Amino acid sequence: MAGSALRRLMAEYKQLTLNPPEGIIAGPINEENFFEWEALITGPEGTCFEGGVFPAKLIFPADYPLSPPKMQFTCEMFHPNIYADGRVCISILHAPGDDPMGYESSAERWSPVQSVEKILLSVVSMLAEPNDESGANVDAAKMWRENREEFNKIAERIVRRTLGIPT
Amino acid sequence: MPVTLLDRLPMPNLRMYSSGSVVALSACVYYATQVIKDPNWSAAADSADIVGLHKEVVDLNKSNASMPDGRSMGQYVSDVFSVMIREPVCVWTMINMAFCWLILVGTAVQKLVFGELRVSEQQHLKDKFWNFVFYKFIFVFGIINVQYIDEVLLWCSWFSLLGFLHLLSQLSKDRFEYLSFSPTTPLWSHVKLLALLGAIFALSGFMLLVSVFVGFFGGFNTFAFMSAEVVLLSIRTLHVIIRYALHLYDMRQEGSSSVSTNEENRVWEKRGPIAYYTELGFELTALIIDFVHHLHMLVWSNIFLSMASLVICMQLRYLFHEIQRRYKKHRNYLWVRNHLEQNYPMASSEELVENSDNCAICWEKMESARKLPCTHLFHNTCLLSWLEQDTSCPTCRLALNIQNPSTSRIDPPDLQVDVPQPQRRQLNHFFHFDGSRYVSWLPSFSVEVSHNQLMRPEAAPASNSQLDAMARQVQQLFPHIPITTIINDLRVTRSVEITIENVLDGRLVAPAMYREPDVVPSANRPMSVLQTNCDTNLQQERNWDELSTDPVET
Ligand SMILES: [Zn+2]
Ligand SMILES: [Zn+2]
Repeated sequence: MAGSALRRLMAEYKQLTLNPPEGIIAGPINEENFFEWEALITGPEGTCFEGGVFPAKLIFPADYPLSPPKMQFTCEMFHPNIYADGRVCISILHAPGDDPMGYESSAERWSPVQSVEKILLSVVSMLAEPNDESGANVDAAKMWRENREEFNKIAERIVRRTLGIPT
Repeated sequence: MPVTLLDRLPMPNLRMYSSGSVVALSACVYYATQVIKDPNWSAAADSADIVGLHKEVVDLNKSNASMPDGRSMGQYVSDVFSVMIREPVCVWTMINMAFCWLILVGTAVQKLVFGELRVSEQQHLKDKFWNFVFYKFIFVFGIINVQYIDEVLLWCSWFSLLGFLHLLSQLSKDRFEYLSFSPTTPLWSHVKLLALLGAIFALSGFMLLVSVFVGFFGGFNTFAFMSAEVVLLSIRTLHVIIRYALHLYDMRQEGSSSVSTNEENRVWEKRGPIAYYTELGFELTALIIDFVHHLHMLVWSNIFLSMASLVICMQLRYLFHEIQRRYKKHRNYLWVRNHLEQNYPMASSEELVENSDNCAICWEKMESARKLPCTHLFHNTCLLSWLEQDTSCPTCRLALNIQNPSTSRIDPPDLQVDVPQPQRRQLNHFFHFDGSRYVSWLPSFSVEVSHNQLMRPEAAPASNSQLDAMARQVQQLFPHIPITTIINDLRVTRSVEITIENVLDGRLVAPAMYREPDVVPSANRPMSVLQTNCDTNLQQERNWDELSTDPVET
């Protein structure tokens, strides 16, 4: 039922505005649809994404929080765990039944006690520490492993672009 | 939906189309009045087989004066009408006009109730429209195999009206679902939408009466064919109305939750099963009626080797699977519910007072709660809907031994264990998040990013005797862990050291059965424990080769 999902999302929004975690802003794109959020994530300090502000979109299912939302960066991203179209590939966003091959343990997967805040914090840590075994973007993963300098250069360019600074 | 048809086909805009239709109809009426000015038109038409040759026939019969001129207004109109009925061009013009009317009504309703349609609504509508047209075409020409043009016309107009209402109902459903995404929908939108739904429901009742009336003369089969779709329409519409009412009740409850009384809370607790059973009832009834309707068509059409019956069979198969799926889901629901009631007690009021946190699933206050063996508390309904799809505690991931034998979602353990999976040793990075900084019940969690290295990927699965020896070795150290659990873990790790590490790190623990002696035996599902506990530290492992061949992953 969408009713309980809506109430939960409203509660999360309230909590995020009252007690915002560092470097993260998130909320519904417009009040008419609480199932589509926009988030701004600041690149973690001391990493190649430092200083960037990355916009992303979160789409919630009608049975949230039983199913995880989908997350997609709306800016250009180059990262081993982010698909070329911006979709984020981290285990916290995967429903428990999604992975028939058993590559991920269900303990790391979605559960209703997870929340938008936890997702975004996981994404921040993913930006800081890419998992190059999870090749959502194979080129990025390869470059991350073999040519870190080049990777950092690309990341820096992306950071500049998100800030509107000409590269 | 005719409205979307306009977007789709390269047509002139609605204004052009409707004025064109009106002009065409007027032309036909004019033609008809011209025809009946001739006193001999009736006889001429009677003797003519091909109405297109009308004029010539009139010439031929000119001498034959059979009908006196001088008609009343009513007769005049009916004459005009009968002329038009005989003339194919006029008939098509009239049909076109009727469609034009439907489109205009549809547009008016759309403007009045829905405003701008969203993209997904349009898409949904288009699909539904073509689907409906396809199946009704099959029905009219493949199943009942009508012979006469007027029969075709009657069926077509019936189905046009029905389809129109179906599409409106569908649109209302989509819109309701969309509106329920927002807490700030103005009351007026709800009222308009509910009024439309009520009107559709009333109209479907009226159409049911019509089909009873027609069936009274036309026989049972005609009645069954006509009424099935109407009943489906009314069931679907009523379903939406009831869901809507429940939703509005929910939202109202939210508004007044701070001052809710005990009585209200009891109703609130009961709401879960009520909502579930109405949902189930409506879905199953609709599916079964649809199924019987299609079965009836198949039996009645009597031609088992035609294209039409093939299509019907496909549809029957689909409906059967849907019913089966729904039934299985329901069985699972019952199973999980019984399991909950039998194995996990409701939390006592002291426990509720002690645990002042909200339910971790819906983030709302708990007036009553169910307690899992790990002492985590949840609302009964929240827990139930989660356990329907997963069998572990949402908070601590403790595997619960809920496995409905009839609907095992997970493959038998052997299948999974026997697949030799490349194992990895991890060099990990931690990201630690202390949840209690924010809300006391938020668990602390660490995101561990793994840099995995393949470890003996080609190693053959250890033989059983070897495994047993290794397992005994481990069990000497950890006698509280059952041997099957150890063996299962060893099958994956293939190393005594790693398994011991897993136990020490708490990734491999005794299954719930060992702490809760009276739950369902876990013999049929040792894997569940393993899956939740053995390798918690793999954040995400994706094999490179697999991703390059199968990059689409959601
Ligand atoms: Zn709850
Ligand atoms: Zn627990």
